Amino acid sequence: MAIDRQQIIAQMSQIHVKGNTDGIIPAFNVFIQQLPTDFWNGFARRLVNNVAEDLREAAEALLVNAAHECGYHTGYGIIHCPEWETIVGPINEKEPEDILHGAFAVVTAWGWAKSEIVELIPKEKMVIRAYDYYESDVIHYGKAEQPCAYMIRGVSAAFMDLVYGDQPYPDGLKTFQCQQTKGIEIGDEYGEFVVTRRSEMD
Amino acid sequence: MTIPFQVNYRFDPQTCRHYLNDFCTVLHCHHFVSLYTQLADDAVHFEGERLLKETAEDTFYDVLTDYFTKHHHTTIADQIDIAEQYWQTVGMGKLHFLEVGKYTVRADMPSSHVDQGWLVKWGVKQQPINFITAGFVTAVAALVNHRPPRSYAVRELKSLVSGDEKSVFKATLK
Repeated sequence: MAIDRQQIIAQMSQIHVKGNTDGIIPAFNVFIQQLPTDFWNGFARRLVNNVAEDLREAAEALLVNAAHECGYHTGYGIIHCPEWETIVGPINEKEPEDILHGAFAVVTAWGWAKSEIVELIPKEKMVIRAYDYYESDVIHYGKAEQPCAYMIRGVSAAFMDLVYGDQPYPDGLKTFQCQQTKGIEIGDEYGEFVVTRRSEMD
Repeated sequence: MTIPFQVNYRFDPQTCRHYLNDFCTVLHCHHFVSLYTQLADDAVHFEGERLLKETAEDTFYDVLTDYFTKHHHTTIADQIDIAEQYWQTVGMGKLHFLEVGKYTVRADMPSSHVDQGWLVKWGVKQQPINFITAGFVTAVAALVNHRPPRSYAVRELKSLVSGDEKSVFKATLK
């Protein structure tokens, strides 16, 4: 890996955004907003807690999907923005793998998850570890019954779509899927996320 | 504006978390908001709209309470001023409180992250969908009237996403 994660995190974490005179933040080809993590966790937990047990998986899939689409479009905006060109471009030596490593450095810098790629089989599989992430904040004591890092699942699959999707952007969405195999919220030391190709059965 | 909203950003290099005025925050895009909103709108059987409004009300009630306490903002005028600036600063749009009373709180919104994002992603919708701002309005209504969350019901009477010039929210005491 040629990418210098610490350099990207140090520089990307210093980018601050603020609403314009209309209260809108157009950036990275999308409109963005900066809300408390408690808001996102709060809605996800209330939604999942409120559905019947047999609908829980479907509700979780919808939460993952929201992050998957968000990650795909925002991720594309990130890797084509001037800040990426300035900060990551000069140290991006091995495409497309370095794009993925750089993207997770940005995920870390922006506070989505302190995460990195620990295994990458180009076009096939990626394993992410997250050592700190806001979705684990739903637990203050003890551990949750099931993992619930829906946002990281969606974003991780989206980044693989961007780099190794069957079609180039914007038609490569949902080439990949992601399962969470470990989670801080269920008592593990870190979260682990495995991205693989979506089969026709999924 | 009479009182500038003070923004204190902090990045914790150990956890790689961002804080805005001591609240852990995260950047997300309009696709994320639109899909969460659509999820709430579709989830009629488990009251998704209510859940999203209440989540917003609880979250922003806490955020504003903390700010008002730390900065000693006790008058309604100051609190409204700060609430409007907060919504603008975090990228949710331009919100103007037009009427603030014990029984009715009314606000309009000429620009909105939720509506503009929805329009870009999916286009016009006949029914209003800005549940997040609706929850924010009830939080403000409760706070300035020294009442707890869930004291006010809210309706979005006009909506940018439906083609109106402005969105209009009206919160009424239950």
